Amino acid sequence: MFEVFSDIFACRENALSRVDPRPKLIIALSLILTVIVSQGVLLPAGVAAVCVGTMLALRVPPRLVLLRLSPPLGIVVVLVVLKAFLTPGRRLVLLTLFGYDFNATVEGITQGLLLGSRVLGAVSVVLLLSTVTPAYKVFAGLRWFRVPEVWVEIAFLVYRYVFVLLEQASDVQAAQRVRLGYSSIGRSLSSMGILAGTVMAQSMEQALRTHEAMMIRGYQGRYPFGPLPAMKTIDQALAVVAPCLVAAAYLLAEWWPR
Amino acid sequence: MTFAYQEGTRALEGIDFRVESGEFVAMLASNGSGKTTLIKVLVGLLKPQHGKVHIEGEDIRNLSWKDLYQKVGLVLQNPVDQLFAPTVEEDVAYGPRNLGLVESEVQARVTEALEWVAAADLRFRATHHLSFGEQKRVCVAGVLAMRPSILILDEPTAGLDPAGEALMMRLLNRLNREQGMTVILATHSVDLLPLFADRMYVLRQGKVLKEGPADEIFCDHEMIDHACLRLPYVADLLHTMKQYDGVMINGLPLTVGEARLRLLELIPEEMIVKRPGVHPE
Repeated sequence: MFEVFSDIFACRENALSRVDPRPKLIIALSLILTVIVSQGVLLPAGVAAVCVGTMLALRVPPRLVLLRLSPPLGIVVVLVVLKAFLTPGRRLVLLTLFGYDFNATVEGITQGLLLGSRVLGAVSVVLLLSTVTPAYKVFAGLRWFRVPEVWVEIAFLVYRYVFVLLEQASDVQAAQRVRLGYSSIGRSLSSMGILAGTVMAQSMEQALRTHEAMMIRGYQGRYPFGPLPAMKTIDQALAVVAPCLVAAAYLLAEWWPR
Repeated sequence: MTFAYQEGTRALEGIDFRVESGEFVAMLASNGSGKTTLIKVLVGLLKPQHGKVHIEGEDIRNLSWKDLYQKVGLVLQNPVDQLFAPTVEEDVAYGPRNLGLVESEVQARVTEALEWVAAADLRFRATHHLSFGEQKRVCVAGVLAMRPSILILDEPTAGLDPAGEALMMRLLNRLNREQGMTVILATHSVDLLPLFADRMYVLRQGKVLKEGPADEIFCDHEMIDHACLRLPYVADLLHTMKQYDGVMINGLPLTVGEARLRLLELIPEEMIVKRPGVHPE
């Protein structure tokens, strides 16, 4: 259940993971912006397909890719349905429920698909970025972009301890399971409440202990980040060229004669 | 010193705890005897209601946090509590960076500390990808990187497999014998201590029951029972043989090496087959 959060792929060696995180952040940001402002389905869908294809090529199990895409996919389905039935236009499908007529329009479905493709495109970019870049490198890159260090410090600690808490949650859930804590819907709900409360209490205790440990090693209220490494020439070139290519792809997709 | 928690639990009573520079001292105590509380008092995390803590002649209340934690390092029992950076390198560098050292010095200390704990190959690993034994070693490295003169460890071998336990104790022994570091170890794992510890304190319910070298401590069976501890297994075996089988063994050997020598004294020489080139470790 918790494998969806695993970052083991980000720590693997491959061509993409060797690239400096800063150009990767610039490329991801430009792709996300392009996808969001795109007026057609083609570009966002293409970006999503390329990102998913890249993850599969990097041997991320298809089941895991699907698992990570399932929340945005759910959002997309809801978007398409709401847009289809709430947007006026040419009727495509008529649905009668409890004596009420619901019209799904062509314009609504088109708009819904556009929004949905934007969501999938943007999320796929973020998923690919997380697959080829460990989170702590992303945070280090954010410092270079002058994101306030206190935010980066909090993100560092969250990243470190989310795995601890997930493991604790997994252990608690296993202990509940062997004691039939999930043998019925009612028991499952109760057990999940206990699980959430236990993890919350443990996280507060963990915070106190970690604070003590940080004090023992000289913590003064600011996390002592090390210097950022210099970017290699090839990474600098990538940071400049890749967004231009993304912009060119956007212009091509938007203004290609239909 | 005396310490009581806010809810009234008297965790330490009349403790007199002294360690000489360069000693390897063990705190032997069962669960709930106050050893973790004593450790926290020693490093200034808790303030005793009565008594003082002096380190190298200075009252720790007069020392800044920076000065105090350059003198004394603490390795906690649970590695999760003190591995708070995403990677091993970041975590070990944490202390030296807090000391305001230049980055080249920080990196040199990281390299040195990881080599001491035989974890140089783990430098770029994510901390949540480490095994339990690896986490324990990296925790020690994180404290060693601050180059303390006193190292206090709370149950450093808890949860380790036998090989990990032996590796950890040998590491601490090397730090003590080769680097002259004062080592204070809180544990209830008695088997390896006679090999390494110069002296031991036995705690029970916040009080010191006895203090002295290993042979004095483990000869007092009544005190050991009262403290809810046990003898090292080899000592327990020979004590049982002495008591119930009438085997005449000199003294009470505490280690396998000592026991071997004592038993060889009892075995007729014609029954011993010496194997050339074969020596116990």
